[in-house]
Amino acid sequence: MLERWITALHTDDPGLEEPAVTRDRFKDRFPKNATRRMTQLGMLVGSTLEPLALTENDTVVYASGYAETRAIEGYLDSFPGASPTLFQTSIHPSAVQQALIVRQQAVRQFFPLTGGAFLPAQALQVALLAETPRVIFCGGEERGTWLLENQSASDRAFAFALALSASSEGALARMTLAPDDRPEPSATDLHFTLPDFFDVLRGRRPFDGLVAPALRLTIAWL
Amino acid sequence: MSAPLPSIRIAAFGALTAFGDESATLAALLDGRRALAPVAVLGRDGGDLVPLALCPGHGYDETVPPGWLAPLRALTARIPGEGWGSPRRPVFVTSSNFGVGSLYAFRRTGDAGHLDFGTPFRCVDWLAEQLGWGPNVTTFSHACVSAHLGLLQASRVLAANLADEALVFTFDFLSPFVAGGFHALKILNADLPTPYQDRATGSIGLGDGAGFVVLTRDRGDFSLVSQSLHNEMHHFTANQADGSGFDACLTPLLTATAGRRFWLKGHGTGTLEAGRLEAGVLARHFPGSPLVAWKGSLGHTLGSCGLVELAIAAAAIRNGRAPGTVGSTGPTFSPDVALEPFDLGAFDSVICTSNAFGGAHAALLLSHA
Repeated sequence: MLERWITALHTDDPGLEEPAVTRDRFKDRFPKNATRRMTQLGMLVGSTLEPLALTENDTVVYASGYAETRAIEGYLDSFPGASPTLFQTSIHPSAVQQALIVRQQAVRQFFPLTGGAFLPAQALQVALLAETPRVIFCGGEERGTWLLENQSASDRAFAFALALSASSEGALARMTLAPDDRPEPSATDLHFTLPDFFDVLRGRRPFDGLVAPALRLTIAWL
Repeated sequence: MSAPLPSIRIAAFGALTAFGDESATLAALLDGRRALAPVAVLGRDGGDLVPLALCPGHGYDETVPPGWLAPLRALTARIPGEGWGSPRRPVFVTSSNFGVGSLYAFRRTGDAGHLDFGTPFRCVDWLAEQLGWGPNVTTFSHACVSAHLGLLQASRVLAANLADEALVFTFDFLSPFVAGGFHALKILNADLPTPYQDRATGSIGLGDGAGFVVLTRDRGDFSLVSQSLHNEMHHFTANQADGSGFDACLTPLLTATAGRRFWLKGHGTGTLEAGRLEAGVLARHFPGSPLVAWKGSLGHTLGSCGLVELAIAAAAIRNGRAPGTVGSTGPTFSPDVALEPFDLGAFDSVICTSNAFGGAHAALLLSHA
């Protein structure tokens, strides 16, 4: 069984908020003029990461299914004169890089993941196997426009960042991830997506259930 | 927390490039051949000619289903064992492109059939279904160091005894989406890349690439002795000017290299500043170890380059001879840059490095078990 303690948690749930509103909301949270070039997801993830005072020796695990949807849309619409800025901004894991580059914050170990039905489970396995005393697990989505109309983007924006420590000192919750061979729903029925995980975190709801085939997650708030 | 990572074995490996499998690729590199050829950057929509290395059977203009599935099937048929994607036999997929060429095709044509492959997880879910994998498939995407993340996490899962074997699988196939982006950044231009060559302007080429390794705790004739990562977070497309990011990634490997005789398979895309920094830092840490890069022939296979080039390096070790830095001539950024093939009888290991957007660095030490 893998175990860590949640020692800090920050979430942002802007729902249908447009990027311009997010930009105005966060203009004082980032260095001057930085938000002009940031995506909505970059601002959301960056704002939840900021209070955690990241250090170079923290492992950072990042999960997003769709990532920089608006930048991808804008980049595709920029052809045939492809936009170099939108191209580099569209590349996974741009959101975290935007947030850390404006602060010139190096990190040794950075694991960006993407996925669908089992993304939180897969990202948590990476986080719980990390070698560093503290692991930062962050993630989120931004809402698309024409990609959303074509079922290829998130329908909501959100972000979270939590600190996972090996020590229980000052902990908010205990988290475990363990193999579970008991009978389970078929893989096609089982899912625990990033929005599902976000809702558990945001509501600080206790959780005990299968999050991927043969893999059980528990979150016990203290 | 896990214990320090033990050495992990490679039970099987394979690669696919524009030349074919890793054996055909090695032979072509030893002959000094280039796979890169001029292609219109926007495919059927035209545009400037840029150097791309496309796999036979993969059309640059995307189709439904994606044309890269056929060459991938030939590669995946070589993956030994069954039950991949089950709880004890996880798959770690790495890529930077996934099926993004399908998104480009959808936006150009309006054919909604492309959307089934356009997002990373839809693409991987479809690929897993095509290849008969179960649902235990974890996907990393960190631009051109993606493959290294799959190798490291698979190693950790094995070290923690959470798996019996692990498959790391990588694929990146070119499209106007990615070539158009690098062309817009002006580093993909009409010139052929010449890694580590000291010239006036830099340029890169891009290539299709895919590969796999099967990792185990105790089986196979190669070992991943040490693996390292570092992320500068200094600039999206530039490194710290003092090379400290390269230093930070390589320093953890110094202990593991003590007493070994190794050569260096560098990242070497053909850009000037990154090439100068990489060659300089490698020469400072490992003076006298020959340095090669193969992207002047194969093009940059992007998120897959770490695994594609690892498989070629392993094939070279088995073959006893390493290709030189194909496409480059002197003067070079370091006297250690090997332009011609060389015998590997005097070496027992190779350090393989990759770099990516955001100042991301990855390195590993591959050795005979």
